[in-house]
Parts: sequence; C-alpha cells; structure tokens
Amino acid sequence: MKKNTVSLSKNNHIHENTTKLRVLLAENNHVKAKALMGILTNTDFDIYHVAHSGVPLLKDVEQLNPDVIIIDIESPDRDMLENLNQISQFAPKPIVVFSEQQNPNPSINQLVKSGVSAYVVGEVSQERVKSIIDVAIARFDVFQSLKQELADTKQKLSSQKNIDKAKRWLMETKQLSEIDAYHFIRKIAMDNSQKMDDVAKNILSVASIF
Amino acid sequence: MFDVEKKNITLGFMPLTDSAPVVIAHEMGFFKKWGLNVNLAKQNSWATLRDKLHMGVIDAAQMLAPMPIASNLGLYGKKSTVIAPLILSRNGNGITLSTTLYQKILSQENNTEVSMPFSADILRNEIDERKATDNKLTLAVVFPYSCHYYQLIEWLRRSNISLSDINLLFIPPSDMVPSMQSGDLDGFCVGGPWNAKAVREGVGVTGVTSSDLWQDSPEKVLGLMSDWQLKHPQTTLALVAALYEACQWLENIPNRFEAARLLSHVLYLDTNIDVIAPSLLGSCLTFNNAAPRKVSTYNQFSTLDDPAFNMPAHYCGENIADLMQECKQISALQRANLNVTSIYRKDIYQTVMNAIKPSESYNINAIEKPS
Repeated sequence: MKKNTVSLSKNNHIHENTTKLRVLLAENNHVKAKALMGILTNTDFDIYHVAHSGVPLLKDVEQLNPDVIIIDIESPDRDMLENLNQISQFAPKPIVVFSEQQNPNPSINQLVKSGVSAYVVGEVSQERVKSIIDVAIARFDVFQSLKQELADTKQKLSSQKNIDKAKRWLMETKQLSEIDAYHFIRKIAMDNSQKMDDVAKNILSVASIF
Repeated sequence: MFDVEKKNITLGFMPLTDSAPVVIAHEMGFFKKWGLNVNLAKQNSWATLRDKLHMGVIDAAQMLAPMPIASNLGLYGKKSTVIAPLILSRNGNGITLSTTLYQKILSQENNTEVSMPFSADILRNEIDERKATDNKLTLAVVFPYSCHYYQLIEWLRRSNISLSDINLLFIPPSDMVPSMQSGDLDGFCVGGPWNAKAVREGVGVTGVTSSDLWQDSPEKVLGLMSDWQLKHPQTTLALVAALYEACQWLENIPNRFEAARLLSHVLYLDTNIDVIAPSLLGSCLTFNNAAPRKVSTYNQFSTLDDPAFNMPAHYCGENIADLMQECKQISALQRANLNVTSIYRKDIYQTVMNAIKPSESYNINAIEKPS
C-alpha cells in the first residue's frame, strides 16, 4: 500500500509533553483537506491527514490508531468507518462527519444532537470544531459505557434465567420447595466457590441428559 | 388518482443495478402520471442516506430491506420510526471470489472448473491453511444491515464456516474491485453492477447469486418516515403506485435492456452498460471470456402472476429480524419486542392495490403466509 499521503500536522502546541488526542482526517480532496487542517492546526489535537479510501484507509486507521476520525458526509467511506465497530480487530472510534455545504439543510444540525456521530455543517470556527470533537468523544464514551451496562444487565438477566430454570428442574424432579431449591443451588455454589449461575448451568446440563 | 399533499419530492437512492425502479419511475413518467415531481438524489453511502431520511433532508429513499428495522431499533444512527410500504426488488446480489484465489483452488483440486453455483466448501483448504499462518481469508460486504451480509454468512454457514474463520471487512462498493485487484480482498458479496464489473476486468469469478441461496428474498424497499407518511398520506400512496408501476414495467424483459441503457447514464450508475445489462437480462457473468450462467431471477422487480410480490408482508420483516438475531446484531429481547407490523406496512400497499386494480379486489391477508 502507499503510505506517502500520511502527513503529520504542523501542530506546534506548547504542551509538547501532554498526551494529545489523535485525530484522523480522511479526505481525498486535498483542497478540502487543507481548509480543514487550517481550522484544526492550532487546536489541542494531533492531526493526521490521509487521502486513502477503502482497504488502504482501514490500514491507516489500524496503523495510526486515532482517537477520533473526521470524514465528509458525502464520502463513500462512511459506511466502512461507521461499521469499524462491528469488526473485532478494530477498537471502536467516534466518527465526526462534516458537510462542506454552507447550509444544506438546517436539520442536518440536529444530527449533531443525535446518535453516535457528530455532524459539522458549513464554515466552522476553530473553537466550534474543537468543542464538537470533544462532545463527540464524550458522547461516544457515554454510549460505550451504556453498551457495557446493557451487556452486564443482559448477563445478569440470563444468569437469573439459568437459576430460575435450575430451580424449576429441582422442584419438579427432587420435589423441593422453591426456597429449598434456591438454597440447594446456593449451598453448592458456596461449597465450591462457584457463581450461582455456573452451578445452575451445571445442573441444567445434567438435566438435559435425562 | 390521489390528491397529493406534496408535489415536489426528493428521493434518495444508491447507484446500483437494482435502483432500476426509481430510475424507471422517473424516466418513464410514472411519478409524473401520479402527480409527483420527483428529484432523484444519488447518495454515496447507506449511513448518509439513512441519516438524511431520519432528518428529513430527503423525503423517501430506496433502502436495503433490513434498514427500516435497524432504524426502528436505533442500531447506529438515531432511533427513528421508518416504514416500508413497498418491496422494490428481490434477489440481485452475487458472491465473487478473486481470480487468483479461484485459480489456486482449481490447481489444488486438479480441476479446470468448479460447477456453479459453487458452495463455500471450495474455500475449506484455503481457510485452514491461511488461518494457520495467521493470514485469514478476507471477505467483504458493504453494510451490516444488508442482505449481502446475511447471504454471505449463510453461504459460509452451509459449509460449516463461521465468521471467526475469516476476516470480514465493510468497504464501499466502488472499492471492491480495486481491493480485489490489489490482493487485499479474496471475495465479496455485493449487488450489481459490481460483480459483473469484477468479472469484466478479469479480477473476479462470480459463482453464486442470491437467488441460488434464497429464492426471492426481499432486497430493496421504499423507506419513509412514519411522521412523513401521516402528514402526506395521499402522496405516499402516489409514490407507492408510481414505483409499483415501474416495477411492473421492468417485468417485461425487452424493457430491461432499455432500463440498463438509462441506468448507465452519468446521473445514475455512471458506468458502462456491459456491466449493468447482464444481471437485468438474467445472465450471470461467471469469469472472463466464459459463457455466462443463466440465472433468470438474478434481478426481480415484480411478477405478473403474484400480486404479493411487491407487498411488504409481515413474514418478510419477521424473517429479516430473525436473521438479525441469528447474526447477533440484536438480542432476543429486542427481537421479542419488535413489532414488524408497524414497519413493514402492507396496509398501505393494499390501499394502493385496491385503488389501482379495484377489479381484482385484493385480499392481502389471505396472501400472508408463514415463512
């Protein structure tokens, strides 16, 4: 693959030692890229511009490991970047989408307030781009933690389900009361330092033999 | 005729062979006939098409059949009540392997050709070999909430190959052929004209079409915001009527070549007719210079004998939701809470049919059948 289009920013901010956020700007049009780089130059970011698309762009993302990616709303690469999160070898990234049109439709502005992507519309000031990127990252982090919470809740729900099923099997086959069945599972768990869920799963796998 | 509330409509579409219904409705005057002045807005990505629809930048869109369901569940983008009152096309996708990989498989098997449609069994050796060297076989699709994705997984699954056996990438359709050429991709599942393009350029071999895998599964639908439909009920009916007539027009094979010619225009696919026409004419290009394979249902837009062909039957939506769950895109809970009847709106379709073909007095509910 070609690597010559990866250009480092001219960002010479004073806080050289602080860890700056890495921003990847994916834009094939050099004029547009230059304009955006101009806006971003003195912000608190390390900016990397790449003019690739498709698989070479994926390789850039892997190699540069940016904290955030900026891309034109009309780029065919949008689907690919948005779906990075579906591909296991890539860590999820917040994506900021910009539109170069001055005022394509005021409702695109509403997109800034929605979803995971942030949208930048028309001519933007340095402060605004910076705050949008900050907001995008913050919102993305919230979204990621919500997703984690949801996964945890689901895990809990499914453990509860296993325990309930195991309880029911014990009640039916061992003629135990519900409370005795529960204590039975808990006792095995305590005796063997296992989770109740794991005990329940073991019971169910035994149950499935019969 | 319907008393349309809004005459000027912007309709988003992706430049693919099966965007034929929207292009034909425009070019052959079906929109005009139903009192609409439609501006066709070509889009570059499904994500942007979806966001523009959610935000009202476009009034309606040709969408991948799973997209309205994904929108209602808020899978990426904003959670939005998108409805689908019409199926625009069925089938239309193909799985293409790189010529390099295909040649290698032939030499391994000591063969001159593999019978088609080929199963993913032919990948078995290569997959095992490449996995061992930590250089997995790389396959690509365009979008996760698409039939391409489910069809690729299904094709692999039938040969006991799971997603963990390969590398899966999502890349734009326009990058499929160049990436295959550069050796970054070993195969892909996409719609036309990209399979034919890979074959014409000698880069790929198309061995399976979606109609070989699942006969007549819904591929593209008309998508609208539910609020928009409530505000413009008559306009919605007119849109469905015009697009339905375009689908019927496309059923006539002599019209298909004309469709290919129109689609090749710079405003639409902006590419050579020799990669658009074959699938429309039921011809699957297999590999360079070989005789094409006959797949008469490669692209399906309507049938004269099945009044439910374009109907967004609830079971169609249910099947897609099941696939989403099987592919772990949604949880069992999301699946259980999903109300497909509010998304796949066959009631709107029925209203249109009763208006344009009253003599046939449809009883759509009788057509609803289990999967």
